[in-house]
Amino acid sequence: MIQFSEEAMRRYETILSHYPAKRAALLPVLTLAQREFGWISQEVADYLSELMGYPPSDILSVATFYTMLHKKPVGKYHMEICRNVSCWLMGTYPCVDEIKRQLKIDVGEITADGKFSWNLTECLGSCGTAPAMQVGDRYYENLTPTRIVEIIEKLANE
Amino acid sequence: MNKILLVNIEKPDQTTIAKYRERGGYKALEKALAMEPAAIIDEVKTSGLRGRGGAGFPTGMKWGFVPRNTGKPTYLLCNADESEPGTFKDRILMERDPHLLIEGMAIACFALGCHLSYIYLRGEYEFIAHTLQRALDEAYEAGILGPSVMGKDFALDLYLHLGQGAYICGEETSLIESLEGYRGYPRIKPPFPATHGFLASPTVVNNVETLCALPWIITNGAAAHAAIGTEKSKGTKLFSVSGHVNKPGVYEVDMGYPLLDFINNEAGGIPNGRMLKAVIPGGSSVPVLTAAECDGVLLDYESLLKAGSMLGSGGMIVLDDSTKMPEVLSVIADFYAHESCGQCTPCREGTGWAAKILRNLIAGKGKRTDIDLLLKIADMMEGKTICPLADADVMPIRSFVTKFRSEFEALSAN
Amino acid sequence: MPKFTINGIEVEAKEGQTIIQAAMAAGFDIPHYCYHPDLPIDGNCRMCLVEVEKMPKLPPSCTTVVTEGMVVRTNTDRVRQSVQGVLEFLLINHPVDCPVCDQAGECRLQDYYMVYGLHTSEIPLEMKVRKRKVIDLGPMVVLDQERCVLCSRCIRFFDNVTHTGEMQFFGRGDHVAIGTFEDRPLDNPYSGNVVDICPVGALTSRDFRFKCRVWFLHSTDSVCGGCSTGCNMRIDHRDGTIFRLLPRRNVEVNRSWLCDEGRLTYHELAAGDRISRPMMRGRDGMQAPVTWKEALASVNSRLKEIGAASGGNSIIGFASPSATNEALYLFKRYLNEQVGASQFEFRLDCEDRKATEKEDDILRHVDKHPNSMGAINLGLASQELGGINGAIEAARAGRIKAGVIVYYKPLVRRPGDAEAEARVAELIGSLEYSVVLAAHKAEWQREASALLPVTAWSEESGTYTNYQGRVQLAGKAVEPGGDILPLWEVLASLLYEGGDSVLWLSPDDVFRSMAENIPAYRGIALEQTRMLGALPTA
Repeated sequence: MIQFSEEAMRRYETILSHYPAKRAALLPVLTLAQREFGWISQEVADYLSELMGYPPSDILSVATFYTMLHKKPVGKYHMEICRNVSCWLMGTYPCVDEIKRQLKIDVGEITADGKFSWNLTECLGSCGTAPAMQVGDRYYENLTPTRIVEIIEKLANE
Repeated sequence: MNKILLVNIEKPDQTTIAKYRERGGYKALEKALAMEPAAIIDEVKTSGLRGRGGAGFPTGMKWGFVPRNTGKPTYLLCNADESEPGTFKDRILMERDPHLLIEGMAIACFALGCHLSYIYLRGEYEFIAHTLQRALDEAYEAGILGPSVMGKDFALDLYLHLGQGAYICGEETSLIESLEGYRGYPRIKPPFPATHGFLASPTVVNNVETLCALPWIITNGAAAHAAIGTEKSKGTKLFSVSGHVNKPGVYEVDMGYPLLDFINNEAGGIPNGRMLKAVIPGGSSVPVLTAAECDGVLLDYESLLKAGSMLGSGGMIVLDDSTKMPEVLSVIADFYAHESCGQCTPCREGTGWAAKILRNLIAGKGKRTDIDLLLKIADMMEGKTICPLADADVMPIRSFVTKFRSEFEALSAN
Repeated sequence: MPKFTINGIEVEAKEGQTIIQAAMAAGFDIPHYCYHPDLPIDGNCRMCLVEVEKMPKLPPSCTTVVTEGMVVRTNTDRVRQSVQGVLEFLLINHPVDCPVCDQAGECRLQDYYMVYGLHTSEIPLEMKVRKRKVIDLGPMVVLDQERCVLCSRCIRFFDNVTHTGEMQFFGRGDHVAIGTFEDRPLDNPYSGNVVDICPVGALTSRDFRFKCRVWFLHSTDSVCGGCSTGCNMRIDHRDGTIFRLLPRRNVEVNRSWLCDEGRLTYHELAAGDRISRPMMRGRDGMQAPVTWKEALASVNSRLKEIGAASGGNSIIGFASPSATNEALYLFKRYLNEQVGASQFEFRLDCEDRKATEKEDDILRHVDKHPNSMGAINLGLASQELGGINGAIEAARAGRIKAGVIVYYKPLVRRPGDAEAEARVAELIGSLEYSVVLAAHKAEWQREASALLPVTAWSEESGTYTNYQGRVQLAGKAVEPGGDILPLWEVLASLLYEGGDSVLWLSPDDVFRSMAENIPAYRGIALEQTRMLGALPTA
């Protein structure tokens, strides 16, 4: 049986205090849960269901609407590479090819050490610094295959 | 050229409250707090400010729809779910001048009688959330937010709320649904958010750029704002330009600035000696303009509409003559198929079908009839859905296919 | 009351009614999937778009409220094209597996395709979005995600009627699918309703699936025999066999819903052996078959004898709250007027109180008999006896010597049923002479002096009075086999045998007599008991 750590529980209470209705806290709580447990498994949905008092189907239904909430495990560094117009024009796919070459994983897969996974994503709002990718709370912009090699190397040693 | 929004954007440490105040920050709020709320709304009406999120609805009028004394709280929600492809203008305001947004929101809240307000920030912008949160903490500490805004008998709580990856949540009713903790399904209107928004209470949803314009309007007066721009498009506008230009980035220009001048001057022209082929002037949802159509077009709501496109969010994508238009459209169509919430039939099925047809065409597996089928799907989707997402797919499909039909035919002939 | 015109015809709408509601009330058909009169409006299917003057776009008729002077058109090319477009969209990813789909024949996709579609599919098979099929969702429902039109009726049902929220949307865009968490079974007593409200073959009945193509079925309007709520239902049957029970909409009683137990009552009805011919206990103490003629003559003369010898107080009429008003009326008339009996009772376990006691907040009542209120109205509860225990006591004490007992097993079972049957057996055992009228063979009948096989629920026409006092007609759907007679007819025959002044030829005749003589039913016309049922005029 999973449950929030003490610190996460404090964070949970803080989140609740920001909203006049408990339900409004669901998305931030799902975000918190993903940070705690890595992804929104059915077990997590069940836990949140108990914690917040909504049916687990309801929780999972909300989670499946939002692409940043993972419905299966991802690597420690989950690279979301923008595939939209400006990034695509400026070279998304050469970067994707480099990622595949470096990590030897396809979309949706995780490296054996659990460190990396990648996915294509929609516009990140980095069109002026394209192509770009998001890794957690970091943006990497003006990407080139060479930059990809550097970034992966740096992250691998973090 | 006037600077309303990006005045301090390049200045060092502008994100700190100390530097923000040193450069005149929170003076506008102070001034607003001494005004009657109704007078602020009038000021915003007179300023001619229109919503900068994409729809261009007059901001003062939107505020005017909010009923008073309903016994329910009024909410102001800042739409910071910037996700329209080609758009990255709000980001720079929040990254570099977060207090400007907080000040704008505080002014709006005071005018609207709102005591609880949220910034709905797209989840991908988590790195900006850190900056914004620091600014919010500073503002609370300085007594700008909290039980008594700048010593006045007016309480305001302002929280940051992060989305989790859904373009549709930029649509205001979807944003409200999402903020309430549900799938971001757009709501049927009426009722409108002005009367039944967040938690069924009166709600105003304003874009970041719109809110950031408020301090300048309060400081310099509505007339000064109305003096900038064209007859119907007032003030300045941020354009985020990307694609085939030498200097992609965010630029503030007066409304009515010539489109081609913008591309050639601000954006530094087309690189590698190539020629302009087409421009998507206001984010991927607006109709594409051919190079010829850009001639004489001004960057304001009316001129772009007259040219057959829209100002939208000001997310401009420039395409040079090497661009394969069917491929661009395919990328765009994939986007709408991916982002369709799936609630209503024409959008759910139409966006996916159009995207598949385009992928097929590009893979060389298309039929000649596919081109007319795409146009038929556009007709079947247009104007039949709860929210404008389907129409946002229709506009690029129809404009790309009709304006660059030969490129599509060449693909299907193979 | 705003007036508006629809296709050139002026119609009056109720205040606040939407176009689709007002149009349907006026007999106009507007195609739709997501709109349902008993669920919150959602507006997602976009099938019901209509033309309204002065509105640039086609507004959905399910969300647009009628206003005075509104001019609506549903028959223009523009509307037709819109409907065709939505229908084509709904079909692009549909598997079109009608030959193996149980919804065929009552599918809104098929129906509207015949009216609006008739187009050729422009999507190649390999381009269709594939989803999951044949997902078992508990005892009542099977889910096929590919056939779903995502109208959200099922989701809204569980969110707003049962408040259990089991069913939800998962995913986004054209990959959205409905389902339950981890495919968990639907765990609420109303789950079968989503099969009815599903306009397509996405949710089919696990009970009815593949039993019969719907176009072979005949339908008879009825009222549920499962409890005192009296939910309006439709019996679908073929060749004397019931295949399924479906709700009939009655806003005053059950809206559009049935509970799962009520929906499955026909299985209880079919379970167990029926008594197939009249039996009488001979000198050897064994029950042996006799003809109806012999049985009725014997019963009539024995009862009259006992009545004459020991007085009316020595004979009890113990009725069943599952019998129709008509049967109960003749039951009392016969025993009272012909035999002279003055003791009547029907209560096995405080049915008079339980008939109005709710079992949940949706439909069900605690009393599992359809006509306890009718039995009360017809004066079949005795203050003196206070229920079956009082009757047993009186019989044991020798105050009651003979009885006519009608007893049907409840179609919705509860743990107390065995106890109730034991009581009935005890009553029979305490009597010198007992006439039992029943449908199913059972141990408790062993000591009956005469055992007469009668029809059960769905096999005879008659009215039931629900917990509200609403009198509702249940039609005869199927013929019982064997030498079984309707209860009212057996009693009519006994009345004839006894020399009644009236010749009772049909339940309708009986009803008319009731409406004249029984205060609770005074002035009700038989016609009123169809459709929405009739409440007594106060």
